[in-house]
Amino acid sequence: MQLFSCPFCGPRDETEFLFGAEAGKRRPEPAAEVSARAWGEHLHFAGNPKGPAREIWLHLTCGEFFAMERDTVSHAVSATRALRGGGQ
Amino acid sequence: MPEAMHDRGRFWTPAPDWRAASLEGEGWRARRIHGLGQTLVSGDLDAARAALAPGAGEVGLWGVAGEGAGDGAYAARIARDRALLVTPSPLAAAPGWRDGFAVSPCDDLYAAVEISGPAMPQLVAEGTAADLEAGSRSAAVLFSGVSCLLYRAGPERARLHVESPFAAYIWTWLHGCVGRAPNRGATLQGA
Repeated sequence: MQLFSCPFCGPRDETEFLFGAEAGKRRPEPAAEVSARAWGEHLHFAGNPKGPAREIWLHLTCGEFFAMERDTVSHAVSATRALRGGGQ
Repeated sequence: MPEAMHDRGRFWTPAPDWRAASLEGEGWRARRIHGLGQTLVSGDLDAARAALAPGAGEVGLWGVAGEGAGDGAYAARIARDRALLVTPSPLAAAPGWRDGFAVSPCDDLYAAVEISGPAMPQLVAEGTAADLEAGSRSAAVLFSGVSCLLYRAGPERARLHVESPFAAYIWTWLHGCVGRAPNRGATLQGA
């Protein structure tokens, strides 16, 4: 069992969380001018860093989206941050 | 005559007679609470409480509800901007947007189950991995794999609000705990 810390709720079991996306991955715009190849890369290609990573996660029970910094090798979580004003 | 549709009646967990349903285990008992008013509010929660249930306190995970004024009303916090306002009887508040908050009456959305007794903490601890003694601002938690609101109505009384379609499942889970002592290894973390 691993604990993740929701910025609002605090430490909770990993089963309460859902991976959302790699942080900082922006949707290509404007949509009408984006090529099929660019869309494909956006949708299906991920950086998959080995080591420190910054990701967007969802806490399912409270609905909070937040950024999590963790190590994909050791699974150690170094920080979680709210995505909107207010933080804690 | 060929069967036109599958009989799925036995697929679902049989629901108990909720009016009479009660469970008694070693050191705990469970029953369903009827007649509570339940109203989802979102947005400015302080304004919502002031408008709908003046004086109502707020409760998070494992907190004790109703410790403030408010005539037995309290807000079980769900999220940063969402709470379930629980009142002794339905509020009959008009649904919709108001000044800074939204109101959604939902008296029947959640089934409220109360578990009481000296062994209640150990029983509840079996159902969730959350550190109950540490508490949490949000009462929303996974209990036996289902998203619930969990808090206490007294030192030895826990309340679970579970979405009504899952009530029979939770009841079955509790029924499975009857006849054995709650797992003492599932004592509250930090206790």
